Amino acid sequence: MRRRRVDPAAGARAGSLPEAIAALSRSLPSGPSPEIFRRAKFDRPEATSALWQLLFRVLSPLPAGNALASIALEVQARLVKSALCSQGYPRLALAQLPEDGSKGSRELLLALSWLLARGPVLEQMLAQTRVPLGDEMTVCQCEALASLGPPAPHMEAEGPVDVRHMQWLMGKLRFRWRQLVSSQQEQCALLSKIHLYTRGCHSDQNLGHLSVTEAEMLRDPEGGQKVSGAGAAQNLDLAYPKGLHFSCTPGMGPRTFWNDLWLVPRLLPGDWAAPLDPGGASACSLLSPLRVLLRTLEHESRRLEAVLAWWRAEPVFWQWMVRKPTHPSPGIPSRSGPQDTVLGTCAPEAPAAASQPTFLPWVPECGDGELELVVRELQTLEEELREAVERRRVAWEAKARGCGRGPEWSAARRASRETVEKELGALQRCWEQDSGPAPAHGPHRLVRREDGATGDRDLRAAELIRTLRSQEACLEAVLRQLQGQCRQELAGLTGALPGLIWIPPPGR
Amino acid sequence: MLPADCSRRLVAELQGALDACAHRQLQLEQSLRVCRRLLQAWEPTGTWACEPPPEPETNEEDPLPACTPSPQDLKELEFLTQALEKAVRVRRGITKAGERNKAPSLKSRSIVTSPGTTASTRPQSPGQAGGHASDRRPTKGLRQTTVPAKGRPERRLPSVRDRTRAGIGARAPRPGAGLRNQHMAPSAAPQAPEAFTLKEKGHLLRLPAAFRKAASQNSSLWAQLSSMQTSDSMDAAAAKTQFLRNIQTASGGSQPRLSAAEVEAEARRLRKACSLLRLRVREELSAAPMDWMQEYRCLLTLEGLQTMVGQCLQRLQELRAAVVERPPLPCPVGRPPRASPSCGGGAEPTWSPQLLVYSSTQELQTLAALKLRVAVLDQQIHLQKVLMAELLPLVSAAQPEGPSWLTLCRAAHSLLCEGGARVLTILRDEPVD
Repeated sequence: MRRRRVDPAAGARAGSLPEAIAALSRSLPSGPSPEIFRRAKFDRPEATSALWQLLFRVLSPLPAGNALASIALEVQARLVKSALCSQGYPRLALAQLPEDGSKGSRELLLALSWLLARGPVLEQMLAQTRVPLGDEMTVCQCEALASLGPPAPHMEAEGPVDVRHMQWLMGKLRFRWRQLVSSQQEQCALLSKIHLYTRGCHSDQNLGHLSVTEAEMLRDPEGGQKVSGAGAAQNLDLAYPKGLHFSCTPGMGPRTFWNDLWLVPRLLPGDWAAPLDPGGASACSLLSPLRVLLRTLEHESRRLEAVLAWWRAEPVFWQWMVRKPTHPSPGIPSRSGPQDTVLGTCAPEAPAAASQPTFLPWVPECGDGELELVVRELQTLEEELREAVERRRVAWEAKARGCGRGPEWSAARRASRETVEKELGALQRCWEQDSGPAPAHGPHRLVRREDGATGDRDLRAAELIRTLRSQEACLEAVLRQLQGQCRQELAGLTGALPGLIWIPPPGR
Repeated sequence: MLPADCSRRLVAELQGALDACAHRQLQLEQSLRVCRRLLQAWEPTGTWACEPPPEPETNEEDPLPACTPSPQDLKELEFLTQALEKAVRVRRGITKAGERNKAPSLKSRSIVTSPGTTASTRPQSPGQAGGHASDRRPTKGLRQTTVPAKGRPERRLPSVRDRTRAGIGARAPRPGAGLRNQHMAPSAAPQAPEAFTLKEKGHLLRLPAAFRKAASQNSSLWAQLSSMQTSDSMDAAAAKTQFLRNIQTASGGSQPRLSAAEVEAEARRLRKACSLLRLRVREELSAAPMDWMQEYRCLLTLEGLQTMVGQCLQRLQELRAAVVERPPLPCPVGRPPRASPSCGGGAEPTWSPQLLVYSSTQELQTLAALKLRVAVLDQQIHLQKVLMAELLPLVSAAQPEGPSWLTLCRAAHSLLCEGGARVLTILRDEPVD
């Protein structure tokens, strides 16, 4: 039995707060029930572990899966703390919470609201778990040939290694690159054929033809044919949806090694919100891929509706978090205090530096190593520039003393200065701005159209090709320049020795 | 031999690159398998959707029943199939048509309980679906009998409709009508079952109605989401900023700490700055000024670039100080993938699925090849930098004596200057005293 605080000021809107919270809990994956939110406001301990898990799901960079859910609560709590810290969460009370889930639900609720306020958390989670029905190609280069997770331990060389081993590894890498090129060409040809042959089939006129996922679903809706010689029927039905998703990424898809690992459990209905079929996980193995696909589509639609409802009801939620009531109701226990907002009841913190968390798993990959490289590059550049500038400045001064000092001379100099400033300003803007016209990001569905007609939000392959060509040219220039630099240095180091003739390789 | 720590780092980097490529190759091969199988003749696994023009009386029906098959439905289907078999057998005794291709289908029908029988004559239907009247469909539907015993309640549209229609609706006339057609059908049917290939019959495929409904609902919701996202409500935004400010003041922090994402974005920007600056410096240094004005401009540019490099270095040092504050990281779960430096990054991903339109195979291949090339170049440049950082100091520090030094030089030259593609030759030519 819940006592609702009667607030005359918000009387008209009081009814929509439960709606807002209900929408929020529906739109979060395996979200906690609305009751948890209310308990958290009163800092009840039973709400704590659910909130830790929710925060873990939200903050995890990997798509969720049953495997992730099996991580112990303490570990999840620790990771949540570190992730929040690395995102810049200001409240230090969170870092000091015990990790066993015994208290602190209000702090966790605050943290969740902070995340929701800062960024489009719900939408990002939806985008992460979106069901790709088409053949997807990512437009940006994120995660292209991305490095995998922590290196397999047996791969690390223990002792000193001959440098020729490096040459061998490099050769192996070059071979793999060539292999990738040819495989990809073949895949594109096949994909294009499939699109060509199934034109006119799709119900959506915009798309016009089937994707590989859809065609595969039509070919084998029951999943009766194995994808790749899997074992028991159990594995087959689970593997097939996985194959569905991976079969269709001709470009550099947004899947990395870790995504692969978690993708299969992800498709189990057990992941999704409770309303539909709680016993789904066991029944899934009997369902055909068509069924699974339909189900995931439906789940996604429900979540989309929940997010839309949440947007409509959002202002009420924020008021609940922030506002001060005009008078407290006598029914509420006194622990709420005079300022009965979620935020107001938390103790304000002193600005003294608290102890840092013990580790941060999600600090970006540009750890010390990357920054080091850049620093070194810039330092060498600085050195080079310093010498060159000195030399030229001296030479210039000598020349300038020779010629006259007429007014047109200084005017010319001023003009030159202005031009140079403008050029350099433009150069700086190149990297200062994150993006001029926001470059497209994320996966796009490939659609083949003979006439190449596009809607306003569609991308054309030709433009993308242009952008990529310029990127390629730029990168090739960088590589050539680096190699030239190495050549010079090595020549300097080795050229002076007598008795040796260095014959450069042919084919330059 | 390289020193141990250097070896470890280099091997780890190269191995990482190799693993990434292998992973990508695996993905491609999986995809290729699926695509190749789609383009071959489709094996008849049972019913699939080669839908005729929709028949008027059944448009509203949603043939896909609830998730779990009801035993009642299954039993009914079994009875129905058996009844139909019997009718066909009786008829066959009367008709003169005795095509061989009916025999296997009868056999398969008699083994009703065996799951997933694939000996159906389904392949025939696509061969005839194109030009034939729609009431041919019930015939084919009746003749197809891949009714597995358990757990497969959903049938493709034609078969379900036909079976239920035949079973539940008017029983007597329907089978008769269907079977009468059957007289005509076998005589017209080709002897050998035609296989279904995407090439010839692909345009006849139709997506199942339930799927269509779900997909269209899904896409309209996504469209709503993306359109609402751009018009964010004012009070919600105001309330959010208020909340953030309150939290900030309640925690006593003077200004928000730099988040990891911001650090990364800044580092990315500076990396980009570094490469742009370097390119520009090269240009200026290699340009030969024609006259004094050009020389002056060149000088000014170089000086400007020098200041910019200094500024970048300073920012980098600040960033490093901020990052170093945080202790180093063991990683129990796994780290997120490295964002490639040439990606603009940070742009807000749009939520609704967007289209990428191409017009020919050539274009798609070029696009994919370019993407791969850019990714490979990224990888190569990264490796180049790492190798430079490791090998050049070794070469300069090593004593120039002994064959191992020559090996090192040769390898360094090959890796650093030729990208590992070619190797130079060293000829020992002792001076004659």
